Amino acid sequence: MPSLRDIRNRIGSVKSTRQITKAMKMVSAAKLRRAQDAILKTRPYAQLLEQTLARVAARAAADEVVAHPLLAPRVQHTAEVVVITSDRGLAGGFNSNIARRTQRFLVENTDRFERVQLATVGRKGRDFFRARKVEVRKDFTGVNAALTYEKAEDLAREYTERYLSGEVDAVFLAYNEFKSAISQKPVVFQLLPIETAPGADASGAAIDFKYEPSREGLLRDLLPRHVAMQVWRALLESAASEHGARMSAMESATKNAEEMIASLTLQYNRARQAYVTKELMEIVSGAEALK
Amino acid sequence: MALTLDIVTPERRVLSVAADEVRAPGVAGGFGIRLNHEPFMTALEPGRLTYVEGGREHHYAVGGGFLQVADNRVIVLADTAEAAADIDVERAKRAFDEAQDRLLRLTEQDGHYAEESARVRRAAARLSVAGR
Repeated sequence: MPSLRDIRNRIGSVKSTRQITKAMKMVSAAKLRRAQDAILKTRPYAQLLEQTLARVAARAAADEVVAHPLLAPRVQHTAEVVVITSDRGLAGGFNSNIARRTQRFLVENTDRFERVQLATVGRKGRDFFRARKVEVRKDFTGVNAALTYEKAEDLAREYTERYLSGEVDAVFLAYNEFKSAISQKPVVFQLLPIETAPGADASGAAIDFKYEPSREGLLRDLLPRHVAMQVWRALLESAASEHGARMSAMESATKNAEEMIASLTLQYNRARQAYVTKELMEIVSGAEALK
Repeated sequence: MALTLDIVTPERRVLSVAADEVRAPGVAGGFGIRLNHEPFMTALEPGRLTYVEGGREHHYAVGGGFLQVADNRVIVLADTAEAAADIDVERAKRAFDEAQDRLLRLTEQDGHYAEESARVRRAAARLSVAGR
């Protein structure tokens, strides 16, 4: 049976753990709010960009749009999956879920592509695949540290160029989609070629715009921004998911710590009671002996 | 009756105001928009975007993007956009110098040449807007 002092020490240590998990939960909650806010702020641009794309595309003949290389599917030999994870752990299943989802994607698509390469954003993803001896072609570290649109743009540009040069024939993003603070869904999204061709916008089709430089020129400029926006959205969703996942993980860790403290305290009190009883017995029997 | 002007960037909505006139740097040259402009859509160069409201001019540095106008609604999809008053001249100058240095070290054959030269033009646009 553990001594009183042992139990007291354990209670102390669990208490300080609880303090840490509680603090982490609160920090995550604040970061989550900010990340959600960032997602909301991108909405006006995203919506207007899609609308503009639809307007430009609506005016173009169907075959004209499809002819754009970013939209045209081709024989797919080489694919690349960009796995978006976090730099830090203690976020519940956040990183392992997306890593496992990626592995499943690789298994499912062995027949579809001759070769599938991996790239990672975030330290956890890189470490996961390295530990399993899976080759990671490129590691984008530092993207998560300070998330800016420019980084999303750079990443999108790199893949657009590699796609256009024929180095890769398809690019996928694997990330945690943000559902709510307590729920994230690992998804694999096709970035290139652009799968969902911008649909015709009925309201825009009625307006006879004058285009400068030309409709084709505008389309050529708009599509890379569309790609960058998809990357940006994925990065932001992943960030919000990360904080949400960490918040829930820390919440349950705090709850577990509290339960543990309660049961340890009970054990402590019992042990103390037993000790007091034993002492009393000794005193009483000592006094009896003197009679 | 006035125009409505919206400037949005991927990071946020920058501006949503009423304006009497909007002047912007189009790829085919600068242009102005007043009431009842014909439907028009253009790509923008990095440069100065100005709107006039009640006789007062407001200046913004935009880093390229698109502008469309229809039904007296002007929508600017800018890669970046900053009010002239918000730009730190010193920092804009430094950013411009750095971008220029980087560009000078590249040759036109370099794969990053177009990217870097776009950066220089953006930095130059910011600096010129900030200077006033």
